Amino acid sequence: MVDTVVFILAAAICLTGALGVILARNPVHSALMLVMTLFGIAVQFVALEAHFLAAVQVIVYAGAIVVLFLFVIMLLGVDRAQNLELSVLPVQKWAALVFAAGSLAILALLVMVVKEPVTGAEAIGGSATGDENVRLLARSLFSDYVYAFELTSLLLVIAVIGAVVLARKPKNVVGVAPEPGNEA
Amino acid sequence: MEALLAFSRPALDWHALAPELTLLAFGTLITVVDIIWDDRSKQAMPTLAGIGLLATLLPVITLALDGTDRTMFGGAYVIDDFSLVLKALFLISGYVVILMSVDYIRDGDYYENEYYTLMLTSLLGMVMMSSSRDLISVFVALELLSIPAYMLAAWRKGGARSNEAGLKYYLMGVFASAVMLYGMSLVYGLAGSTAFGAIAEELGSLDSSPVAILGILFILIGFAFKVSAVPFHTWAPDTYEGAPTPVTAFLAVASKTAGMVALIQLVFVAFAGRDDVVQPFFWLIAALTMTIGNLIALRQTNIVRLLAYSGVAQGGFMLVPFAVAADAPARAVEAVVIYMAIYAFMNLGAFTVVLAVARKTRSGEIDSYGGLFQYAPGLAVAMTIFLAALAGIPPAGGWFAKFGLFRALLDAGGGWAAGLGVVVAVNTVIAFAYYARILGQMWFQPAPDGDERPVVMTGSLKAALAMTIIATMAFGILPGLVGHFGEVSVLSALGG
Repeated sequence: MVDTVVFILAAAICLTGALGVILARNPVHSALMLVMTLFGIAVQFVALEAHFLAAVQVIVYAGAIVVLFLFVIMLLGVDRAQNLELSVLPVQKWAALVFAAGSLAILALLVMVVKEPVTGAEAIGGSATGDENVRLLARSLFSDYVYAFELTSLLLVIAVIGAVVLARKPKNVVGVAPEPGNEA
Repeated sequence: MEALLAFSRPALDWHALAPELTLLAFGTLITVVDIIWDDRSKQAMPTLAGIGLLATLLPVITLALDGTDRTMFGGAYVIDDFSLVLKALFLISGYVVILMSVDYIRDGDYYENEYYTLMLTSLLGMVMMSSSRDLISVFVALELLSIPAYMLAAWRKGGARSNEAGLKYYLMGVFASAVMLYGMSLVYGLAGSTAFGAIAEELGSLDSSPVAILGILFILIGFAFKVSAVPFHTWAPDTYEGAPTPVTAFLAVASKTAGMVALIQLVFVAFAGRDDVVQPFFWLIAALTMTIGNLIALRQTNIVRLLAYSGVAQGGFMLVPFAVAADAPARAVEAVVIYMAIYAFMNLGAFTVVLAVARKTRSGEIDSYGGLFQYAPGLAVAMTIFLAALAGIPPAGGWFAKFGLFRALLDAGGGWAAGLGVVVAVNTVIAFAYYARILGQMWFQPAPDGDERPVVMTGSLKAALAMTIIATMAFGILPGLVGHFGEVSVLSALGG
């Protein structure tokens, strides 16, 4: 009973946030509404007893990533409603509608077909309750997945190196005049 | 419970991990040298990267000589003949690409030492991919090879086209990754494990579950983006044309091969019991990819775009054996591996010629190839060999690759396989038309501006050309050579 109530409340929070993201005219408001969606998902994780994921969801997504969004939005100076009509081909709108409806149909179909856990198989770390979450995750990460885990760290380093190289101005080019209209 | 949670150190087989670790060490070394000596290290970088690749080949060879199959991390990482053959292929392709890059990158106004770091990292992802038998390893390997490639495609920072190339590749790539991850989450939900062996068991027992079908399709579609199969190919021509030419060669050969390797492992190991989904999917995708790639290639006037679309079509040929994956599994794996090996050399060769000619003409238009035979007969002959190989004319290598396809289809037998055989045959003929157009331009037309100064060839370009010509001809004249690799390359370990 409590589970159902929590689920419905959290789902309502998620959906409200998601609608807010696409309906808000101001990008800053969209980003803030995203926090609401992510928070609702964190509640769902808690209800599933995935406490670690819930914490990560709040810290990483609601915290770091949305802050990053806000930074970018404000640095680029697009923190006001924009006229999006200019760049959209009329066909694109219809195609988007068709694909969105199709995705929705597939998801609805899935929900109708899958009424119960399909296999009943347990997660790879075994069943977990409460505090053991973190330990199970850690054990998986540092045993079966240690190789992929370590190489992911390399991936992050490479992403930073590449991003810096691409964003940096070549050092032998001096006094590049800003393109007209870009100064502000 | 405490006993269950007690941590046991995973068994590490350092010999098996040596190729990846060597690559990693050289990638790091290049970065550190760059930081310390900066511009003074400019000349040494390509050499260092080349040495790194050759050094990585050593453990691959010793592992091959040792010959035992090794499994680690609960079956997530496997060293067998299949993975070793492909590791070697990636490393050699990477070496040729580095030979191609030396002058291009040095002469460009966008020189950065990080180019080689990113190239080695991307190769590390590919080398890892060929050993991965687990969803998470495959995904990490895929990102490790893709993310440096996105940035390499945008390497000519000043050029709008290069920026477009990088951005398009990146956006389509992450979109494909998202679709694939969704599929992986569905498959993991069903199987309760990320290991391919466990997935195969679980999926094989669920006959009509729509979730399983959706999961499999999403994963396959994700990789279809990576190998630029129609209708998921739209990024490829713009990216290939805009990216620096050596990077284009790298994407067209190494990156595509890596996607194929992942598909082989998924289709022949993880989805082994699901030919009801896999075979029709690949039948359709292969037929579409070959036909549409070839038809659009007919209309191209820029040689890089033409090679891009021809690459799309060649990818379609490589997808053909997947359509008979369950009917003739051993032959099908063999056909794909052989096709990948031959395609790597003939396509890298063609790009090397394009690169060499562009050093003089500064143009990628097919019209600018007029008179090539008069002022650079060597390059014209080399290009003829590569185009003949791509078209499948003996004695150049390509015929044996196509022969492998037909052999797999014949082994499978049946109406559907025969139908696909007809599509392959028709497409081979269509491909003749546009390859012949370049040949005609090179051999019979005069140089467009009457400029008949010879093309200046550098040592590294000559070396790249020599390697690719020798490999292409060797595969054509001595098909047993590559046939041998194909035979040993049947997947052995099913993930523990």
